[in-house]
Amino acid sequence: MSKILEVSHLSKTFRVGLLARPVVAVRDVSFSMEPGQVLGYLGPNGSGKTTSIKCILGLIQPSQGDIRLFGQSSNSAEARTRVGYMPEHPYFYDYLKPTEVLDYVGQLFGIDAQVRRKRIPELLERLGLGHAMDRTLRGFSKGMLQRVGIAQSLLNDPDLLIYDEPMSGLDPVGRKELRELLVELREEGRSIFITSHILSDIENICDSVVILNQGVAIAEGPLDTLLQRDKLQSSATIRLPSGEQRQAAVDALVALPAVTASTETEGAMMIRLPTDAVPQLSAKAAECGAHLVDLQPVRDTLEELFMRKAVTTASDSGDDS
Amino acid sequence: MKTKWQGIELKVHGPRASLGRVSAVMSNTLRETGRTRAFYGVLIVAMLLLFGSVILSDLALVNQKARLVQDFGLFTIPLVTILTGVLLGVVLLQKEIEKKTLYAILPKPIRRGEFLLGKYLGLCTLLLLEMLVLALCWFAVLALRGGEISAPIFSALLLSYVEVMLITAIATFFSSLSSPLLSGILTLGMFIIGRISYIIVDLMNASKGVFAEVAAMRWLGRGIMVVVPDLSAFNISDELLLGWPVTPEYLLHSIGYGLSYSAIFLVLGLLVFERRDLT
Ligand SMILES: Nc1ncnc2c1ncn2[C@@H]1O[C@H](COP(=O)(O)OP(=O)(O)OP(=O)(O)O)[C@@H](O)[C@H]1O
Ligand SMILES: [Mg+2]
Repeated sequence: MSKILEVSHLSKTFRVGLLARPVVAVRDVSFSMEPGQVLGYLGPNGSGKTTSIKCILGLIQPSQGDIRLFGQSSNSAEARTRVGYMPEHPYFYDYLKPTEVLDYVGQLFGIDAQVRRKRIPELLERLGLGHAMDRTLRGFSKGMLQRVGIAQSLLNDPDLLIYDEPMSGLDPVGRKELRELLVELREEGRSIFITSHILSDIENICDSVVILNQGVAIAEGPLDTLLQRDKLQSSATIRLPSGEQRQAAVDALVALPAVTASTETEGAMMIRLPTDAVPQLSAKAAECGAHLVDLQPVRDTLEELFMRKAVTTASDSGDDS
Repeated sequence: MKTKWQGIELKVHGPRASLGRVSAVMSNTLRETGRTRAFYGVLIVAMLLLFGSVILSDLALVNQKARLVQDFGLFTIPLVTILTGVLLGVVLLQKEIEKKTLYAILPKPIRRGEFLLGKYLGLCTLLLLEMLVLALCWFAVLALRGGEISAPIFSALLLSYVEVMLITAIATFFSSLSSPLLSGILTLGMFIIGRISYIIVDLMNASKGVFAEVAAMRWLGRGIMVVVPDLSAFNISDELLLGWPVTPEYLLHSIGYGLSYSAIFLVLGLLVFERRDLT
């Protein structure tokens, strides 16, 4: 099957102020999405996530590059038929009720009135808005608006969901519910494009990520590869012997070639090393009168990956700012 | 319960689907503009003015009372409706951008042209309703003063509505490229020049005066004639006053003239709106 979304060499430069000073929001970003894929589009504030999405949806014209949605040019309105989008700040007509917002959206998708009448209450019920269906949006809380946003994004039974920071502004319970919903949507076979700057929020949902920093994609690919999940690391806690033996044991353990990091406390030390080198560590510890007392698997998190990548690219590009 | 539905049908291709989207935007715009406080303010003031013309007519001679009410209505109703059109037209797009409601709507399979047309037609519908309400008040007052509600009065109202549509199209055009305040000023400028442009024609055709004698002024005059529609085409108060007939040809010609100009301004507005980055 062909690609759901293909972005090649996307760049966007805004012109600001009287002098039309250029502000580069996105610079030469390329990626693509397969059917059923969940792509995390990550980056700190102002890194160009929303700008990229607006280019994909035709709200703004790219300065350079080509975007294909379901194989069609993103400038064609029909290309968006199978897309469900929730903006960063889901604002809807506050004089409307959720049912009316959805009815309006349903009309834009060319859904028959009969079908709308049936689906809309179902969908709102499904998203926990059943109790608020007959109230105008004016009095809605942020979380309730978010639910309306999700409801309108699902009305057309989309194959591709584009969610811009859907977790922001939700309480922990809301986040958990949204994460569960996203997992469900993924299991239904939909592709999801989701942005966030809180990496742990989407770490468990995504198959692959694009990491953006100052408009540039600094890392891209399957999450497992990026996080080097195949190379499992462990953190071992070792109880050290007392007296003269202590320093000798520390020296001997740190000298092991597999050790990648270590910290020392009063009677113990922590050592980080590849999991397959643990037996070696255990044997060496016993030799010097120390004991391996605890072993924890260590997983590289997106936060660490991001910090590592952002720092390396920043130092690579010198004082760009 | 699942959110996945089997075989939901999305009709997005073809002219019928397009019309469906325009009408969706249109009815939402009617609802939105119909909730503006300014609209009801203007409407109530206009109604009071119309009813007030009864008192004013007491000052007139007995056989002039109905005439005064008629003239007052013919002057007030288009003016008030046009002002409403300008007031709401210049914020038509601005409001959606400011309230960020546009960003949820345009990513749906709708073209910007359909959106703009729907917004415009929604506002025109509201203005039609406003005009009908005012006309009913006016008819009541006319009846009270023994005036006759004749066929030419309906022709006059019809032409006024075409003028309203035209000015609203101009307001929509300006609002697609500048701020509401500037758009308002420019639209009102166009309206005033359009209302008096027949004077410029007279001046250009006269044997004396700057418009007739200075070449640059003649060019300016011609430029104005092309850019600014001649709104006197929609004013048949002289015919009404003198009891001259208004031919169907004249009506059709004026309606065609007004709608063509409206279409031109809408297309120009779309050309600007289409290219605009909505950030
Ligand atoms: N209309 C605009 N005019 C000028 N600069 C803009 C405009 N819109 C965005 N930018 C700039 O483009 C850059 C990227 O902005 P963007 O909103 O895409 O970031 P983001 O990754 O979505 O950030 P956040 O996490 O805060 O939502 C920023 O530096 C921003 O200042
Ligand atoms: Mg953003």
